[in-house]
Amino acid sequence: MSEREWGFATEYDDVSGAVAVCGVGESDHTKASGRTVQEIVGTAVERALDDAGLAPTDVDGLMYIPLPEQFDVAAFHAHFGTDHDMWESRAGGGMRWAATAPYEAAHALRDGRARVILNTFGVAWATQRSQMVGGPGQSHAQELYKQNLEIPMGWFPQPVYFATVARRHMHEFGTRQEDLGAVAVTCRRHANLTPAAVMHDKPLTLDQYLEAPTIVAPFRKEDCCLISDGGAAYLMTTPERAADLARPVVEVAGVGLGNSVTGAHWAQQPAFTSTPQVFAAPVAFGMAGIGPDDVDVYTCYDPFTIHTIMQIEDSGFCEKGGGGDLASSGALAYDSGVLPTNTHGGLLSHAYVLGIAHVVEVVRQLRGEAAAQVPDAAIGVYGGYTGPQASTLVLRRR
Amino acid sequence: MAGERVPARPRAGRPAGPGAVTMETRNEFPLPDLSWEPTAEFWAGAARGELRIPRCSSCGRLRWYPEAECRLCSAEPLAWETMRGTGTLFSWVVVTHAFLPQFADLTPFIPALVALDEDRAVRIPTRMVDCDADSLEFEMPVRCVFRPLTFTGVDGSVAAPLFVPA
Repeated sequence: MSEREWGFATEYDDVSGAVAVCGVGESDHTKASGRTVQEIVGTAVERALDDAGLAPTDVDGLMYIPLPEQFDVAAFHAHFGTDHDMWESRAGGGMRWAATAPYEAAHALRDGRARVILNTFGVAWATQRSQMVGGPGQSHAQELYKQNLEIPMGWFPQPVYFATVARRHMHEFGTRQEDLGAVAVTCRRHANLTPAAVMHDKPLTLDQYLEAPTIVAPFRKEDCCLISDGGAAYLMTTPERAADLARPVVEVAGVGLGNSVTGAHWAQQPAFTSTPQVFAAPVAFGMAGIGPDDVDVYTCYDPFTIHTIMQIEDSGFCEKGGGGDLASSGALAYDSGVLPTNTHGGLLSHAYVLGIAHVVEVVRQLRGEAAAQVPDAAIGVYGGYTGPQASTLVLRRR
Repeated sequence: MAGERVPARPRAGRPAGPGAVTMETRNEFPLPDLSWEPTAEFWAGAARGELRIPRCSSCGRLRWYPEAECRLCSAEPLAWETMRGTGTLFSWVVVTHAFLPQFADLTPFIPALVALDEDRAVRIPTRMVDCDADSLEFEMPVRCVFRPLTFTGVDGSVAAPLFVPA
């Protein structure tokens, strides 16, 4: 099988300029807190409404992912004491959907199904872990090919899969342990600057990273994302309506979605050290009429350090294999001016809200409101990821 | 690999640490379900000391994993064959932190992907055994050995194709 056959882009029509993000909000991000997912998301939604200057009754569209306890229409009405009709879509949430929800929203706005659309995602996995349920490994453990071919061998869960990918990436491209460390340290520095980040008060140096014991060599704990309680929300409407609201207009310039034919069976993915960003990013950048060099700030779904390096490469910010060198050059720092990346700290050091806070961060950067602000950021990108799929969202300050 | 340090083996039976995965499932988990049809022949072969992999009856390529439809040509019929049991080491990790409580007695262990000599696109998730992690190299020749899988707190064992340096 050639590299070309390992995946494909989903066909998207042009939604450039059809939808704007008009309000963003996050819950508090914490270790185990005892909060439920709906409490967490409810707080994030209140803050997004405050940010936009909108009332709950102004929201007539709701997007989420059909996982347990997500913020559906019933939860929305229970939280706010409302009962109006709402358009509902289950193609929202975090991960790759945090990038593609605006694509679905653009169509709903165009078709008149809704005027203001809310997308949310939240987890209480830090709380649930102490109750021995939930967490990112659970759904994988229930997949039967994994249960019968991978788990018995010990090739499980996610830290094991992606440490295997990282080691192969080191072999193919000369990526070094220090390059993975540069990603972790840069994210931590950004989190140290971001008061809301779970790791705000915990500095990390490259020496500390290298001296830490491995847990799944070549990964140390610091190569792996946090497990935390938290959620985030963003509101979407047309750019015209957004212009009448409280906040500066941030519009969607491009969206793309890429797919891997081997799905979540990473062991069999022919392009083992790549992500479906290879297919997603060109669609989004093409729709936006920009190239990778035009991007001022980048966030990407970073469950492990290697994912930042691979998505930077696969999105065309450097040649394939050059991501490690780029990270070690300092290019990912918010004040570097080259490719400021995960400027809030990412899943590694900000919070494990599966990417939706990455979109919130890009919006704040483009409004000039971020804690680790990139000077005069005008174009920002979020790279979403689930493994089987990756997505790219280009946002632009109007 | 420079900079890797493998801590001493934790004492047997210790609980899994942070990031641990738990779930309600079969009692024998994480042993395979020998009755699950798509992989039943793989495990039946292992019990006889044979590495069995199916070939697509339509396009003639090895079908791995043994899914209902061929990923390459969409055909359904397949036929199982016995492989030579040789391959090359594609990648590996060294696990020192038990993510499942059932893995607690295994650490440190070396989950690996082995590319089969019959078709290097076929990668077997496996474990490297009888070797030192420091001695492993990419693309080194490896060969299959059949060893019983056993897990902390789980009754019984199942023979599995693990790999050693050739």
